[in-house]
Amino acid sequence: MSYSILIVDDSLPMRAVIKRTFKAAGYGNSQFHEAANGKEAIELMKNDWIDIVLTDYNMPVMNGLEFIKTYKSMDVLKDIPVVVVSTEGNETKIKEFIENGAAGYITKPFTPEEIRDLATTILGEIDYEEDFDESDDDFDF
Amino acid sequence: MKKILMKAMTTSISEVLETMFYLPIEIGDESTLSQSGMDMDVPNLACQLKFTGDFSGNFTLVIPKNLLEEITEDFMGESRDSLGEEHLSGTLTEILNMICGNALKKIKSKTPFDLDIPRVIDEFKIHESHVFTIIETTQSKMAINFALD
Repeated sequence: MSYSILIVDDSLPMRAVIKRTFKAAGYGNSQFHEAANGKEAIELMKNDWIDIVLTDYNMPVMNGLEFIKTYKSMDVLKDIPVVVVSTEGNETKIKEFIENGAAGYITKPFTPEEIRDLATTILGEIDYEEDFDESDDDFDF
Repeated sequence: MKKILMKAMTTSISEVLETMFYLPIEIGDESTLSQSGMDMDVPNLACQLKFTGDFSGNFTLVIPKNLLEEITEDFMGESRDSLGEEHLSGTLTEILNMICGNALKKIKSKTPFDLDIPRVIDEFKIHESHVFTIIETTQSKMAINFALD
């Protein structure tokens, strides 16, 4: 099964690591999109089909919470599930994200298993036989 | 408070560097940069992150460029030749962001801490008298400091 996954983070290395983690978790056939802040992400979401969004909180231009609040108020985009991946681990903050529509929350540092488990809960079980590609050398996570 | 934050920070350093960056480390002594044993003649990069909450302050991380290149290479799964300044500064700021966020998460507070966006700074602005916690890796050393306002 192939998904369209949007990673929103102002850190280029972190976007790359989340992408690698998804690939290692069995989502190697998915299409990945990247944005450096919430504003860029919304523009992208208006033009491309997205199955799931992973967003950081602390970003310039438009932070993760403003981003979620904005797109969750837009009829065309509001049903796209979003997971927050952030260093902000305070319970009050996590509650605020969930109340504003986040489907899940992962705190950094995270393990690949945490990403896989949450993604699987939201997107459904991966068919590993279907998704396994021997030529894909990105699996050496 | 400084003791509690120090304990949270050292625990966080190990958790972040070992979980996300696959880098086994040992927390060394506290010292100024010049007395730390770090080679200050090689290029070093520094990054600072301010935080506010029940108490406020900042964290500063100093790391030799060659160690940062090695960490970035492993973190991103890219060869060193393909890494640019954006990859290096992105990894540097992300390390500090995670250490700081993870450390503050461990401290009970009435209001949630707010983290600023980490920024790469000119290491030579770091005052000679500042005391850093030295982080020893198998090949090199880096240093981290926090200061309360």
